[in-house]
Order: sequence, then structure tokens, then C-alpha cells
Amino acid sequence: MSRRRKSGKAGSLALRYLVLGSWALFCVVPIIWFLTIGLRPRTEIVLPQPLYLPTFTLDAWNMIWSSWPMGSYLRNSLIAIFGSVIIDLLLAIPAAYSLARYKYRFREDIGFYILSTRMMAPAVVAIPIFFLFKTFGLLDSVWALMLIYAAMNLSLVTWIVRSYMLDIPPEIEDAARTDGASDLRILVSIIVPMCLPGIITAGVIAVIFAINEFLFTLLIASTQNAYTLSVALANFTGGSDGIIYNAIAMVAFIAFVPVLLLVVAIQKHLSRGLTMGAVKG
Amino acid sequence: MAEAIAANPGRAARVARSPLKRRRSPLQRKAFPYLLVAPAVIYLLGITFYPGLYAIYQSLFRVKFNSWTFIGLDNYSKLLGDNEFWASLWNTFLMGSGALLIEFVIALTLAAFAYRDPFIRSWRILFLLPMLFMPSAVSFLWKLAFNDGRVVSDILMRIGFIDRPLDFLGDIWLARLSLIITDVWQWTPFLFVIFVAALQGQDAEIEEAARLDGARWSQIFWNISLPMLKPIIAVALVLRGIDIVTMFTSIFIITGGTPGGATETMSYFIYRTGFKRFDFGYASAASVLLLALTVIIAQTFVKRFFRSGRD
Repeated sequence: MSRRRKSGKAGSLALRYLVLGSWALFCVVPIIWFLTIGLRPRTEIVLPQPLYLPTFTLDAWNMIWSSWPMGSYLRNSLIAIFGSVIIDLLLAIPAAYSLARYKYRFREDIGFYILSTRMMAPAVVAIPIFFLFKTFGLLDSVWALMLIYAAMNLSLVTWIVRSYMLDIPPEIEDAARTDGASDLRILVSIIVPMCLPGIITAGVIAVIFAINEFLFTLLIASTQNAYTLSVALANFTGGSDGIIYNAIAMVAFIAFVPVLLLVVAIQKHLSRGLTMGAVKG
Repeated sequence: MAEAIAANPGRAARVARSPLKRRRSPLQRKAFPYLLVAPAVIYLLGITFYPGLYAIYQSLFRVKFNSWTFIGLDNYSKLLGDNEFWASLWNTFLMGSGALLIEFVIALTLAAFAYRDPFIRSWRILFLLPMLFMPSAVSFLWKLAFNDGRVVSDILMRIGFIDRPLDFLGDIWLARLSLIITDVWQWTPFLFVIFVAALQGQDAEIEEAARLDGARWSQIFWNISLPMLKPIIAVALVLRGIDIVTMFTSIFIITGGTPGGATETMSYFIYRTGFKRFDFGYASAASVLLLALTVIIAQTFVKRFFRSGRD
């Protein structure tokens, strides 16, 4: 009896590892294959028979820097993304503190209004926003992208930071208050340092969503003045030659490396961030 | 009295400093939390509420370049009789629910297998990798694999499943399947990382007690872990569901709505109507209906699963 149970247990362990291992392969193999796409010549990509052992070359790397304004794409991405995260933090930290610490009328409604903007479909507001930015002459500019990314991520930054603020025992603030510190001072010199992990998590997740953003950028950007990496990819086509996949793969990995490093840095907080604080992982 | 103060120094300090605190009027104190939250709310109103109103207003007009003609609800009545619109709604539902269901089942299975396993935990990052690529890049990856590079067909032929290459993007169901696989590949990790964290966060002692009582691993998972996980599953599915309903990037890059509109989602319908056919009034009417749909989803689920303050 006990032996049968044991063999069953070993069997179930093997099954588990088989399932997990297959999925891990399914995740990793396409990525490695895509990396080889980035490192092969264009003539070895779109063929009647796929080629699994291609020639190794840095053509794509040289091409993105010489044939395309890769520097502008990178600069646009960096300005729009970091600008948007700074706007988000400046707006979200006070808002989160207000939602986490004070009791007042409409607090719930305000909190849910902020949350519900996360549920807004980009396509719904795309046309009005296009006209709005057209009116202000902001089309094809990184500033417009910065404002859009900030709006898109504000709800999740607010809710993540709020979740971490709720973890701070109120007694600490009471003690500071009795020492005569003003509410604003408490926020700046006690609360913010104490929920720094939450603020960093929120910032990292906002950066990732901003890098990924596609629809708004597609509508607003029309030249290298505002193209970000995400949308520049879609323009890597050589007229009659079709899509230039090795350049696309190369740019994909250029964007992937910093995201990977950021995610590894906040790995423990990732699930909490992705659920806007609902899961404390 | 002196003793009482000595026993409660905090209170003593508060009493002593109370004149200082009083300098702010009660009105100021009451307004303070509103002032903290106001900038964020105003910003969001400007960039979501105003556009929402604008879309409703514009949907009542026929917009040809700069000339707006008021036509009342004509756009809406035309929309309700537009087969392409209904097809986009149906495609959104079909591909969205398909992708969400597959992602949910796979993520939950993987999470159940992985969460108490230190070996897997140390390799968890492997399972997250697809999520860390830009969706536009992932779309190109699968476009190349399914169609342009014929890699998937080639592999299936080598295994012996099929004997001639499949036209993945030319067939209605295969095109939909390709988009679903693209979404599943990239976003199953999103649900997986949330489920693993939630399962790990549960009290291991309850599971241990059940195990000592002779419960099997599967019984423990179904009867103890899963019910406790319900609220978090709901949150994760709502967040993923909203992103799926608004699916756009993969459609734009992989199929462009082809073949014959079989993969056109609502987002893509709005984009095509507005920015390819420049029929902005009509596109706005479709936006308003999509907005109504997302508001219904948000109102139904969100309030139930998120709490805004300390209870």
C-alpha cells in the first residue's frame, strides 16, 4: 500500500515537471529562435523552407543604426516614458495618501473613478485625444506621448502606492503629529521613504506599460520626431522587400533587456504591482 | 494630573502644542484630503472624461474633414444595421473568451504545480519572459512563425500532423487561432505570476493540517486553496479581460482584420473607420458603444473586488 502510494507520488511529480517543463520550453524556444532571427542575414528569413542553422551576422545591428534614426527612437522612448512616470508619481503619491489615510465624503467614489480609468479602452478615447492634441498642435511630439502614458498609468500607480501606504501603521504618523509635524511634512519625510518599495514597483510597472503602448503612439506619432521603439518596429518595412524581420527582432531585444533587469529587481513585488495591490505576494 | 501626563507623554505634547495646530482653520483641514487627490482627478478627467464626452458629441454628427453636419442618432441606427460592426463584436467576444479561458486554465494548472516547489520557484523568471517583450514585437514574432517564415507549418509537418503547409492567416479559424495563440503565449505569464503569489501567500499550516488528516494533494487544492484564491482570480481575470476586450496591436500587425474581417475586433473597427475611412462621427458612435460595454464590465466587477480604503 505504502509502496504504491510512493510510486504514485513519484509519478505525479514526473507529470508535474513534464507539464511545467513543456510550458517553459514553449516560452523560451520562440524567444531563442527570434534571437537567431535578429542575428541572421535578411536573405535567410523568409524562405520557402525555414532555415534552422543560419549564418551568424550583425547585419541587423548595423542596419538599425545606419539606415534608421535609432537614436531618435531611443531618445523619444526614454523622454516620453520617464517623463510620464515622473508626472504619475507627482500626482499619484498625494492622491494615494489621501485615499489611504483620510476619511471624507466621496472618497470611495473618487478611488473608484481613478481605478475605472484603467478599464477605459484606448480605442474609445483615441479619436477625441487625436483631435485634442491636434488643437494644441501636439501631434507628432513626445510631449503628447508623455501626457498620454501618464494618464494611462496614473490609476495603477495610485492604487499600487495606496496599497503600500495602507501597510504603514498609523501610529507612526500619530507620533510625528504629536511632535508637531504638519501633514504634508509627514507625507514627504515619513510616508514616502517608508513606502519606497511600493513607489519603485509602481514606477517599474508604469515604465513597462509605457514601453508596450501601441495604439496612441501609432495615432500621435507620424515621423521620427515622436516614434518610440514599439511603433518604430511597425515601420521596419523596406517597400517591396516586405517586413525587415531581423531589424525588428534586434530592436525587440534592445527593449527587452532593460525591462528584464527592472522586473528582476522588483520580482518579489511584481504580482502585487500587476494586480494594483490586490495580491500581497 | 502630573502623573497622568507623565504616564502619557504623547498626550502631554499634544496638549502643549495644541495652539500651534489650531492655526489651520477647520475648513482648511477638511479641504486638505481633497486638495491632495484633486490634481490626479483633474488630470484624469481631462484625458478620459472630456474625450468621452467629446466622443458622444461627435457621434451625433457626420464628419467630413472639417465640416460637421448634425444627424442626430443616425450613426447609431446605421451602426446597429452594420454587419461589419456586429462581426467585430462577435470576433472580440470569440477570440477574447477563447484566449482568456485558455490562459486561465493553463496559468492555474502551472501555478498549482509550481507554488510549493522551491526548484521551480528559482526558475520562475523563465515563465515570465514572454510578458517582457513589447506586444508589437511579439506580434511580429508570431506573424513570422505562422505565416511569413512558415515555421509552425514546417514543424507540424516534420512531426507528421499535417502533410502540406497550412495557410494560417488565410483561413478564418486558423487566423483567429493564430491571434489567440499569440495572446496566450504573451499573457499567460501575467495570470501565472499572480496565481503563484496568491497561492504562496496562503497559510501553509492549513494545507499541512489537511495533509496530516490524510487529504490528497488534489483534494487540498480543490477544497482549500482554490476557494481561498477566488477573489484574486476574479481581480486577475477582470484586468486581463479588459485588456483582451480592447485587443488591437496583434490585429494591426498580424492580420489587419483579414481574412474577410474575420479577425477584426471592436478596437480595430474603430481605428479603421476613423483613421482609414476618416468617418469620425461613425467611429465615435462605435467608441461610445465600446465605452458602454467596458463601463458595464467595470461597474459589475471592479467594485466587488477592489477596496479603496482601510476597512
